[in-house]
Amino acid sequence: MAITAGIDVGTGAIKAVVFEVENGGRGEIKWLSKRTEKIRRRDQHKLAHDTFKDVVGEAGVTEGDIAYTATTGEAENLAFATGHFYSMTTHARGGVHLKPSSRAVLDIGALHGRAITVDGRGKVLGYRMTSQCASGSGQFLENIARYLGITQDEIGPLSLQADDPEKVSSICAVLAETDVINMVSRQISTSNILKGIHLSMATRLVKLLRVIKVTEGDLLLTGGLALDVGLLAALKETIADFKIDVNAFSHPDSIYAGAIGAAIWGAFRHEKLAQLGQLAKAS
Amino acid sequence: MQQVSEIIDYCQTLYEDLSFAAAREWKAAEQGRKVVGYMPVYVPRELIHAGGMLPLGILGGGEDLEVIHGDAYYQSYICRIPRSTVELAVSKRLDFVDGMLFPSICDVIRNLSGMWKLMYPELYVRYFDVPQNYKDEIGGNYYVHELQELRQGLEGICGRTISDDDIRRSIAVYNENRRLVNAVYDFRAREPWKAPSWHVYLLMRAGMILPVEAHSQLLQDYLAAAAADDQPMRDNCRVILQGMFCEQPPLNLIKSIEFAGCYIVDDDCMLVGRWLLRAVPAAGDPIANLARAFLKYSTETAAKYEPDGSRKGRYLIEAVRQRGAEGVIFAAPSFCDPALLDRPMLANALTRENIPHISFKYAENSGQMQPIREQAGTFADSIKLWSEA
Repeated sequence: MAITAGIDVGTGAIKAVVFEVENGGRGEIKWLSKRTEKIRRRDQHKLAHDTFKDVVGEAGVTEGDIAYTATTGEAENLAFATGHFYSMTTHARGGVHLKPSSRAVLDIGALHGRAITVDGRGKVLGYRMTSQCASGSGQFLENIARYLGITQDEIGPLSLQADDPEKVSSICAVLAETDVINMVSRQISTSNILKGIHLSMATRLVKLLRVIKVTEGDLLLTGGLALDVGLLAALKETIADFKIDVNAFSHPDSIYAGAIGAAIWGAFRHEKLAQLGQLAKAS
Repeated sequence: MQQVSEIIDYCQTLYEDLSFAAAREWKAAEQGRKVVGYMPVYVPRELIHAGGMLPLGILGGGEDLEVIHGDAYYQSYICRIPRSTVELAVSKRLDFVDGMLFPSICDVIRNLSGMWKLMYPELYVRYFDVPQNYKDEIGGNYYVHELQELRQGLEGICGRTISDDDIRRSIAVYNENRRLVNAVYDFRAREPWKAPSWHVYLLMRAGMILPVEAHSQLLQDYLAAAAADDQPMRDNCRVILQGMFCEQPPLNLIKSIEFAGCYIVDDDCMLVGRWLLRAVPAAGDPIANLARAFLKYSTETAAKYEPDGSRKGRYLIEAVRQRGAEGVIFAAPSFCDPALLDRPMLANALTRENIPHISFKYAENSGQMQPIREQAGTFADSIKLWSEA
């Protein structure tokens, strides 16, 4: 058994988890604690360290009990980490942990969307990311919510109420924002605007899935937008429109997928380093 | 004892200074001092030093130099180092340099030597050719002749005879520098968490501009300071970087690879300090000794002709074993013929030995590091999680 921590520093939030992992991730994986902190213009590194301390405390263990602290996302140079994993690797593993039947993961964060195909071990088989433009991202949706005067939590439920959605530009965030301004002036309802945005984002994401040849099986949404029920519904509609046999799911802990994957891979590395006799140096 | 951060800050100041103030100050400190510039990959700096002159490594303009005039001299499908080097010259940043050596590395640098002759007819400019045949009676004789010609040319700059004794003394000084350069590389391979590659890179860059004696002292100070610096080891994979021997990578590229989870345990940046693999005998005929060192124990790299095709890539496989590396990252400048033409052969040699490798290209002014972080990060993960070791 090894107690490991995973810290996912995203653009908008820091997610941290602590697990007790058996047999390098091949045995039982037990949650000990989890925590999310919005960054809100605070110092990322300091906040990551504070969040780590808090989540370790909530797990009822000490920092000394943590066998491997794994980071992912934008946390490459956190001094207290044992090792770092690239976010695609961690979302793939985290996705398979949360929904073992998933063979594809859609990580939708504040700045990027990323489609990943995985095998049952959580190994990345292929991936594709959205381009530099932010129109398929959580940051864009957050900005639009602010313009429309609603909270982020209201986005999904309002989108589900739409009856006549109008799509926005799916290429450019600037053009999309202009579209939204036009819609507001044309008195299109907030629900229909939000649903239109969700459909545009879903179209981009399903195209990514198609590029990496995801045509069937279970797909798990991870990242900050995974719990947006409006986006999930739009994604299901778009998948049906594209006539592919994919079942999209979300999970209550989808937002932690990166941190979960980091913690599990950390346990795997901890075991491997022990076998190689390098544990003392790297922990 | 100096702190690591003090040493590296000093090196970074030298690195960022495109006016070469340190070399200008060295020259101005005594009347009659001369500075001889040289480009990658290898020149026998001992001869310049023996004439009492400062060898100055010119490695292009780097990431911060805006190239305006330089682009007019070359087609768009040529690498960036000749353009930015022309820019350095045209913008008078090299106006204190008394001679320029252009070593045999590729056609572009050969052409640059011709341009220099046209642009600066009053300067001593030499295309420094090296043998492609390693037999004593053919390549050896040729190279001895080449070195003698260079010696005479350099005597023309410093205005005095460069004696055999002068060269012997310089050989001893450079032997010590080589020993220390290798000691830094060995230290990094042993404890890469204590010697980040961007530190090592800046240290070696300082050797391009400082007098060799000062550089040797700096290396000694760094070794002492870094050994005493208690840094935690991270769970990174160990990689060798290849292809950076001419146009240099932006510093952020080296940092990005390390941040992405790779310890760089060897590289081929600035090979001039590591070209000769052993100490050159300081006794006997110094020119013959330098020639023999080049022929018999100089480094193998894509920048050097390998007559035996079956040996292609052997040096890299040996380096992987010797340094305990787990993979190789081929990073070459765009349009770099020597690096890119050799890459498939080197990559095949690694594949045959089941050594993981990836490749990408850069320019000295590359600014977007996200794709490189992505590639290096996934490469590191694949080694750490899926390799059989």
